[in-house]
Amino acid sequence: MAKWQQQLRTWIGRYFDLPSDVMLDLPRITTIGSIHVYIENHTGLLHFSDHEIRIQYKKGQVRILGKDLGVKMMIKEELLLEGELKSVEFLPDS
Amino acid sequence: MKGQYDFYKGRIRIRIKGALVEPYLQACTRRGCQVTHLTRTSEDEVQLTIRLSDWRTFRELRKKYRCKIILVEGQGIPFILKRMFQRPSLLIAFFVGVLFVFVLANTLWSIEVKGLNPELEASVESKLKSYGVTPGKLTIGMSDPNDIQRKLLEDIPDLLWVGVKKQGTSYHLYGVEKIRHDTDDKERPTYLVAKKKGMVVQSFIKTGRPLVSVYDVVQKGQPLATGELVEDGDVFVHAEGEVIAETWYKAEQTLPQKHILQLTNGEATHSYSLDIGRLRVPLWGWWTSNDGDIREESETSDWNVFGWQLPVQMQTTSAYSLDAISLENSQKELKEIGVRTAKESLRQTLDERADILDEKVLHLSKEHGKVKLILLFKVYEDIAETKYISQGD
Repeated sequence: MAKWQQQLRTWIGRYFDLPSDVMLDLPRITTIGSIHVYIENHTGLLHFSDHEIRIQYKKGQVRILGKDLGVKMMIKEELLLEGELKSVEFLPDS
Repeated sequence: MKGQYDFYKGRIRIRIKGALVEPYLQACTRRGCQVTHLTRTSEDEVQLTIRLSDWRTFRELRKKYRCKIILVEGQGIPFILKRMFQRPSLLIAFFVGVLFVFVLANTLWSIEVKGLNPELEASVESKLKSYGVTPGKLTIGMSDPNDIQRKLLEDIPDLLWVGVKKQGTSYHLYGVEKIRHDTDDKERPTYLVAKKKGMVVQSFIKTGRPLVSVYDVVQKGQPLATGELVEDGDVFVHAEGEVIAETWYKAEQTLPQKHILQLTNGEATHSYSLDIGRLRVPLWGWWTSNDGDIREESETSDWNVFGWQLPVQMQTTSAYSLDAISLENSQKELKEIGVRTAKESLRQTLDERADILDEKVLHLSKEHGKVKLILLFKVYEDIAETKYISQGD
């Protein structure tokens, strides 16, 4: 059932040319070079330290590794990180 | 812009200690809080800045997540104000400074007088001093420039005009001196004519050529002295002088011989009534009979509430009993009264320096209970009147 719904959503998104983050409840991650990360549509901050930040989204986690990381601003569903980025990894629940 | 807004509303920098920091922050943001400048300071401690308005939410959720909040510092206007009130000396100094500037700005520092000679300038300055307008005084409570201008013009007759202008902390005065031209009138050739008919008793012509001598009877408009010094000459002067003449006034007086005076003996009966609209309700004293001659005086009260006259008013009527007394004067007394009043009224129409020498009763008759008097007064007065000689220019 869930798979069928997912497929329908993908199809609608494609057909109507909608942005996929809205349709599929996925986080939109914008990075500015390697100094800023802007994450929208997340569901929670799981772990936070100066070299690793883990963020929950609907279907998994995002892990951001770096150096001297900090949260510049955090409000509901939005997160702005700064620091020296090394990598952004996706760890989907499967 | 957002940061500015938060600055006005106040921000707090706090440290949160505990194992469940991340869920705690998540819960707070879910409630609408805003977290900024979040950094990890140690294994179980983070430092962050929150809005002052979110402080309540943070306090509420603290217990549930077993976190400890340590206040680091407050930022923004509310905290600056708080700190300022904690140091009253600073606040006082600030207000004293403001007051100082205010006082200095409202002090008169200089007065500049222009356009006048030194003598007049000094008198203007001394007058200003007497009005309390001197350098070093506060301009608050000082009369305003228009007032000063008016007062100066009133007090210094030699000033034709003075402009007083306040410019910042100084007064600029610009005066114009009155240049006295000795009035033209005093130099124009004139002659003196008689104001009224009379007999000259004394003549003193200061300048000019006298045309009449003592005991001459002059008619109204007759020349008494002329400014033309030589007959048919070209030399004209301003004739000036005094010509005292004997003049006559006739006065008529009619006086009744019998006076009837209505006198009350002060005893009165009062009655009271209440006026309600047009209706009059007698209250007290309405039974007293009013026989004989009486004089009634009624007085209506003026009861009002906040300027509104009440429809109910009290009327007090006092009735005074009258006694008629007739006074009769003898003819001799009436004559005296008539002469005295006629003299008094004549004196009011005459010049101050005029003298009433003599009065004569020309006629005294009695008819219909009235005495008719015709009086003649002999008066010494100055009859000289200045007339300008028209030279056809």
